[in-house]
Amino acid sequence: MAGISISPISQFSRATTQRVVNAMPEMTISSEKANKFIGWVGDTLTSPHNRLILGVTALMTQPFIDLNNKKVDEETRKISAARTIAKIIAGTITGVIIRGGCIKAINAFTKLPHEITPDMKFKNLRQLFTPSPGILDDLKKYKDSLGTILSVGIMVFTNFLIDAPFTKYLTNKFIDKIKQKENQQEQAPKTVQKTTQIKEAQHE
Amino acid sequence: MSNASLFVRMKDYIARNYGKNNVGKMLLHTGVISWILSSAAQVMAIAINDKIPKEQKLYLIPQECADAAVNIVSFYALTKTFKSLGSYLVKTGKLVPSSVRKILKDTNFKNIGKIGTDIAKDANLPAEELKNFERFSAGMDFMFTTLGSIISCNIVTPLVRNQIAADRQKKGIAKMNESKDECPSQINSTYQYLQKPSMVDFQIKYYNRTYPSNSGTLKI
Repeated sequence: MAGISISPISQFSRATTQRVVNAMPEMTISSEKANKFIGWVGDTLTSPHNRLILGVTALMTQPFIDLNNKKVDEETRKISAARTIAKIIAGTITGVIIRGGCIKAINAFTKLPHEITPDMKFKNLRQLFTPSPGILDDLKKYKDSLGTILSVGIMVFTNFLIDAPFTKYLTNKFIDKIKQKENQQEQAPKTVQKTTQIKEAQHE
Repeated sequence: MSNASLFVRMKDYIARNYGKNNVGKMLLHTGVISWILSSAAQVMAIAINDKIPKEQKLYLIPQECADAAVNIVSFYALTKTFKSLGSYLVKTGKLVPSSVRKILKDTNFKNIGKIGTDIAKDANLPAEELKNFERFSAGMDFMFTTLGSIISCNIVTPLVRNQIAADRQKKGIAKMNESKDECPSQINSTYQYLQKPSMVDFQIKYYNRTYPSNSGTLKI
């Protein structure tokens, strides 16, 4: 199934890319600051940062898209937006923490021989994830990738054990708040009515 | 094959495929798997949430399934397109830093923009410049992949999934209403004895009876 569905997507992607590349003018980034920033992004940022950026931008777009979905009633719109916010918060927090933690763990056990110092603990395990000699000189990108792959494996469990219950908890909190607000709004005109009635009675 | 050699082969495979300036490729592949897992968990979270009414579940569960399907397809298609666009632009020399552009002009490099060109290999960049260019390339890879992910996951997917889920909800509610309407007639036709007057019917009729004489329709 994967072969059937992925192949046309790859072809579409390649064909689109070729057309766009042909149509694009030559672009030169001349600002020294911009070039330094892009280099820093390449050196430093990896999957936890990507997940965090996705989470923050998701909070800026998705709830508003849900709230403006005119095809469903207002109640559904509100619950949907509440659940979307809860899902984004839960997914981003666990995603960033687990990815970051796994990269750190892999980093600790992926050392080149010259990086192992006498005062290190667990010396035998320090090269557990180090690839065969000669494949890579710089292990940074490899560690990030392996850490991210490990985190995907761990998220098989955490998605069910942490993400889903945490999303449920946050959704219910948000729904309660929405209902509280609605009740307050409903009660507000009644109290105004009552006070005016009392005032009128006192006046009479 | 022993477990140890399988483990070594796996490490070497990851090192070769994701270890060198392939941040975008790694983000794309792990992203697709993460979306599948996360969606499965979210569907479960809605299904077991008692606070969400059934009518809303009829919207939210298809919304989540649609979200998963649309997310995975759009994430793969759009993010892959953005990722390969960025990497082609940089590789073929269409998008480069000013220092590399100067070298390309000085050496009269002619294959700029042609698919298959890799200026890291073909343009004979000096070692220091090559290192900077690789950093630049990795940075662009990350930025294009992230941009593609934002557009696909945070704009395209919510718009499409809401459309699909709204249609499903309408159909689901219509079905629920239909089954409610059908219930009494089905019971009456299936269980004929239910149509016979019960003791309660008899008592109601008895207490509501009217007197035929002068009292008219007055009920006593």
